[in-house]
Amino acid sequence: MHKLRILFLRITTLFKRRHLDAELDEELQAHIALAIEDNLSRGMTRRQARTDALRSFGGVSQATETYRLQRGLPWLEQLMRDTRYGCRQLLRAPGFTLTAVFTLALGLGANTAVFSLINALLLRPLPVPHSEELAVLHYLRSDDSGPNYSFSFPLLRSIEKNHEVFQYVAGFSNTVFQVRENSGNVRVPGALVSGQYFQVLETPPLLGRYLTPQDDRQGGSGTEFPVVLSENYWRTQFNSAADIVGRKIVIANTPFIIVGVMPHSFIGADPTRRANIYAPLWAEPVTDAPYNSIANGYHSWWIRVIARRNPRISLEQGNAALQTESSAVLREVTDAQWAKDAQKNHFLLTADPGSKGFSHLRTAFLKPLSAIFALCAAMLLLACLNLASLLMARSAARERELATRLALGATRQRLIQQLMVESLLVAILGTAAGIVAAPVVSRSLALMILDRSPESALDTTLDLRVFAFVAMTAVATTLLIGLVPALRATSKNLNEQIKTGAHTVSTQPGKRLLPRLLMAFEVALALILVFGAALLATSLTRLYRTGLGFDPKGIVNLEFDMGKQPLDGAALVSWYQNYGDALRHKPGVQNVSFADITPMNGSTWTEDYHTPVSGGDREIYMNTVSPDFFATMKIPILAGRDFRWNDTLASGRKIILSQTAANLLFPNRSALGQQVVADKNSYEVIAIVGDIHLVSIRKATPPGGYISITQDSGHKPSYTAAVRLEGSPSPLFTAARSLAAQMAPEIPPPVMISLNDQLDDSIRSERMMAMLAIFFAITALFITAIGLYGTLAYNTARRTSEIGIRIALGARRLQVIALVFRENAWSALSGTLAGLLAALLAARALASILYGTSARDPLVLFGSIAALLAVASAASLIPALRAARIDPIQALRTE
Amino acid sequence: MGESKSDVLQGTLDLMVLKTLESMGPLHGYGIARRIEQVSGSTLILNQGTIYPALLRLEQRGWVKSEWGTSETNRRAKFYSLSRLGRKEIEMETENWERVAATMARFLAPSN
Repeated sequence: MHKLRILFLRITTLFKRRHLDAELDEELQAHIALAIEDNLSRGMTRRQARTDALRSFGGVSQATETYRLQRGLPWLEQLMRDTRYGCRQLLRAPGFTLTAVFTLALGLGANTAVFSLINALLLRPLPVPHSEELAVLHYLRSDDSGPNYSFSFPLLRSIEKNHEVFQYVAGFSNTVFQVRENSGNVRVPGALVSGQYFQVLETPPLLGRYLTPQDDRQGGSGTEFPVVLSENYWRTQFNSAADIVGRKIVIANTPFIIVGVMPHSFIGADPTRRANIYAPLWAEPVTDAPYNSIANGYHSWWIRVIARRNPRISLEQGNAALQTESSAVLREVTDAQWAKDAQKNHFLLTADPGSKGFSHLRTAFLKPLSAIFALCAAMLLLACLNLASLLMARSAARERELATRLALGATRQRLIQQLMVESLLVAILGTAAGIVAAPVVSRSLALMILDRSPESALDTTLDLRVFAFVAMTAVATTLLIGLVPALRATSKNLNEQIKTGAHTVSTQPGKRLLPRLLMAFEVALALILVFGAALLATSLTRLYRTGLGFDPKGIVNLEFDMGKQPLDGAALVSWYQNYGDALRHKPGVQNVSFADITPMNGSTWTEDYHTPVSGGDREIYMNTVSPDFFATMKIPILAGRDFRWNDTLASGRKIILSQTAANLLFPNRSALGQQVVADKNSYEVIAIVGDIHLVSIRKATPPGGYISITQDSGHKPSYTAAVRLEGSPSPLFTAARSLAAQMAPEIPPPVMISLNDQLDDSIRSERMMAMLAIFFAITALFITAIGLYGTLAYNTARRTSEIGIRIALGARRLQVIALVFRENAWSALSGTLAGLLAALLAARALASILYGTSARDPLVLFGSIAALLAVASAASLIPALRAARIDPIQALRTE
Repeated sequence: MGESKSDVLQGTLDLMVLKTLESMGPLHGYGIARRIEQVSGSTLILNQGTIYPALLRLEQRGWVKSEWGTSETNRRAKFYSLSRLGRKEIEMETENWERVAATMARFLAPSN
């Protein structure tokens, strides 16, 4: 308390130093004057009085100095002085400062951005009380390769009944609700949650109440199912109405009653999805119609399970208890076949730490994000090395100044502190610029990770963890860039230094080793980055060049949701036909067709077919398509004919096979006109078409089979219209929407996405990695060029007189160029060699991510080295050429 | 800097200043210095200048207050006076000193 007050007093004096100095001056003068007066009154002569007064006072300047030390905080004043001095030094070399700040901002900004993404996706706990008590449940089966996070409805119900280790257990499923808003039916992201969901997450509602186990019963608690809204949805759709609780909301043409609103801070159990409406799990048959996952029992695995641990029971204890509970859960299973199967395969429930909730993106992006983080770290290291080299070259130019100051009695520690303050200033400026840019970068990175759906969200705002990371990196950066140059610059022998003076010739070989090693290290790092980026880019280009089997350019998909309108069967099929015909007449539309699955939309449907010659069941990747699908997609029909709108079930079941499927089912013979069998149905093969990549660009084309939408036995099937378009898609979107609203007012407007965007989405982690890697590689090349140029330029500037003498003595220009150029050649070549070895080793980590590209692709390697050497040569040539133009007379005169 | 030695001396000077202010009332730096010289006689040679850092230290701790005023010879000077905290400090320090002095006296007394 006392000490704090004194500290505060001392700090405040720093700001009124001038005034206080004047006051002290006046006080001391008064002292002397009083003493003189006193002496005079005791009978001394004026002169004597004065001498005596001064003598008994002691040293005035000593007293002033001690007084000042006592008054302020010497170390703080010194720091401020150093800071001012550092600022002046930086301002004196604006080129250096700008480069330093810019490269550091790039490095630090990139690191911060990627770290905040990693933080948001992998580190940040859910914003709920006691998140450390949360656990995510999965089960292991010996016939599954890994843990399984999807549960079926009856399995969840028996876990709910049998849990003793957990306070609460809840299931949830992300979904999209069809909600009637003023404009008609729209799709609203939401979640189906079991009764204890909100108890698990323990967040109090903003208004009303949250859902409880009483709500999650068949038929709901009353006549209607209750729902809870998000604050955001309540504000935007209901204008923050105060009387929201008790109001009705129509979901899937069924009224639900709003019982509460959850606060903005509540993001549910999946940090990458934002639900606007939470409905009880039992409402699934209503909201999912025409599907019913609850009735499907053990055939539908659609629920994630999260639980809140009893705080007295550790996760390990909980897992041990779950082992015994697993068998209790199994005993309740009503599906005897499934239970027997599970028993045989050692079904085992297990809990993971769940403080961060559950997101399927985590596993998918762990590897790419780690790789990008490594790239960022390498980038930052590169920027630091670069600055260290530049600072070293710069302080070499300041050696005389430093030596003089040492000679005048400054301690080495003092000089190092001052030089470090300079690096700290650079680091702080760089960090500040980086932090400003980081949120924008991490938000766009998050967009690259997430898919295009409106419910995707990831909170990448900077939090304490990110700031701690930034502070640590900034300090590490300061040390990295400042310490070595500062130690080196102040280590000189004084005599040596002052003697050599301005007659600087090339320094001793030993002295040049460290800067050269640093530069070589930098070049090596740059090569690794360039090589990595080149590999990823090559892999991505090859991925894009892969023959897809269809032409995605100009195709626009319109996804329909027909589950909750009255038409079905033949009436629905003719609705699709009419819609297609109507759309075909819109401007720019070349062709329209419908399909159940569009390429790379994420869903698959496989079916086992066999023929007398197929040697048992063959798994075929199926799709339901309308006539003209092959023409629209430009998939070649190799033999036979396309489906027709009048190919009804009455005319016999028909199938179209892809080349691969035909070869699989009819090895070495023609499939056309033959029969294939699945379950009890037999299908006539009416055509053979080209293979296409349906599920993934990376994987080989699967054996494909197509049946006609006119023979689809599904209930109210929702298809996607594939439209081949010439020109801008926006007029089509308006036309398609109004046409849909006119022909089927009950359905939500179709969702439009171009096929190319869908393909990009399917390889978004590859795209993100390649784009970032290229960005980093270009930056690395740029920074390395600056480093090579900067250090060489400094060194050459210091050798101006030496070079002047050489020229005066008859050295030819070419020799001078070679002399200067050689300085960097050593660093560049040894760095390239070291980088080559390291890059080949590091590239192995990329091997699993690469597509159709070897991790030691010689062409890529050669190209990377060539690019690096070209940049290095260009950077070194400029100072060399400048040196050759030195005018000897001018150079010698400046001595 | 000889840390421990100067600490003792500082402490001594501080107490002298406080005690001077207690007995003389508000006083300017020169007055304090003169008074200390007079009281201690020839046993202490004081550089009068050192009084000022000491006064600042005491002021920072809240033991003395300062105010500009005019001296008896009509000269503008800074006057120092004892605060309530300072009076308490004198009590504590005096006690402290007496204890130390007594202890030292016992040590220095010829052993019998």
